[in-house]
Amino acid sequence: MPEWLTVFLRGAGLWLFILAAVRVMGKKHPSRMRPFDFVNYTVVGVVAALTASRVMALVPGVILLGVWILSPIILDLLMMKSKWVHDFVSGKETVLIRQGKIMEENLAQVRLTGEDLLRELRSKSVFKTADVEFAVLEPTGEINILLKSDQKPVTAQDLGQKTAPRNEPQTVILDGNIIDEALSNLGLNREWLGTKLEAAGVSLNNVFIGQVDAVGDLFLDLFDDSLEVPAPKIKELIYANLEKCHADLMGFSLQTKNQQAKDIFNKDAKKLLEVKEQLKPYLLK
Amino acid sequence: MTVSSQVKETVATLKGIESTLKIYAVQTVDQEIKSVFSRVGGVIDGVVNDLEERVGVLEYEEPQYKGL
Repeated sequence: MPEWLTVFLRGAGLWLFILAAVRVMGKKHPSRMRPFDFVNYTVVGVVAALTASRVMALVPGVILLGVWILSPIILDLLMMKSKWVHDFVSGKETVLIRQGKIMEENLAQVRLTGEDLLRELRSKSVFKTADVEFAVLEPTGEINILLKSDQKPVTAQDLGQKTAPRNEPQTVILDGNIIDEALSNLGLNREWLGTKLEAAGVSLNNVFIGQVDAVGDLFLDLFDDSLEVPAPKIKELIYANLEKCHADLMGFSLQTKNQQAKDIFNKDAKKLLEVKEQLKPYLLK
Repeated sequence: MTVSSQVKETVATLKGIESTLKIYAVQTVDQEIKSVFSRVGGVIDGVVNDLEERVGVLEYEEPQYKGL
């Protein structure tokens, strides 16, 4: 076999091998890696390079790669089984701020200076340490913070407001192609989509992205940006119509002189008001 | 516009709302939305019935405006 062919085969073979190995080793993001994971990946890379460039013989090289690829997988499995192994390998998190007070000795223990801490806080948009209730240094080196309760962004729960569940929209058209799996997830079919597209006056091959929300409204983005597709406003329309009907009923009850009819109109107006309040989170986003 | 035709208009709007809600309730896969929309549809149905009864009474009282 000519020399260039062996080099080529080795290179290509190892390339495939490493590609598969890294996929098997996990989905951890590089910035979320433990320092040891980084060492592990480096060793795998260097050994692969040495073997490919024939500094190392093929068999020992592949065996070494096998060990360094399998060991972390086994270690991961062990860590899932045992808390002790987990704490030993990845270390425990260190509390840096507790009850709004910076723990200087913990800071010294993980060799972080005050500037480091301030920089990390700033990267989380916190410029005042007094705003922080609790901060912790994760084993990956990331600092996570809990803001004081009066500094946290307002949530719907804080306002005591009910919100409708928001299901993920399904992408049913991509690049002019219908995605049947997404459609059947919603229990819909191609005919339904065809009707909707016809109603919007758009042909399928002009659609770049089409998404269906929880209740089955279709939102479109077209290739032809000069065409304006109106976003479905049916829910807003229902809400406005409910308001109108409520006002109508109040008006009827004022107009009539028949007490019995007045009562019925008033009762119905009250019912519609309740309906309106119940539907508000679902109809208005 | 007579009173009965005004009431009829409101009935029509309410029926439209009810049917759209029903379509949504059928189309959605979310159980919470399904139950809320169908319950509300029932309430609106009750209101529609009340109003239709009232239209009947109005047309009986003032037969000269019937169908207007």
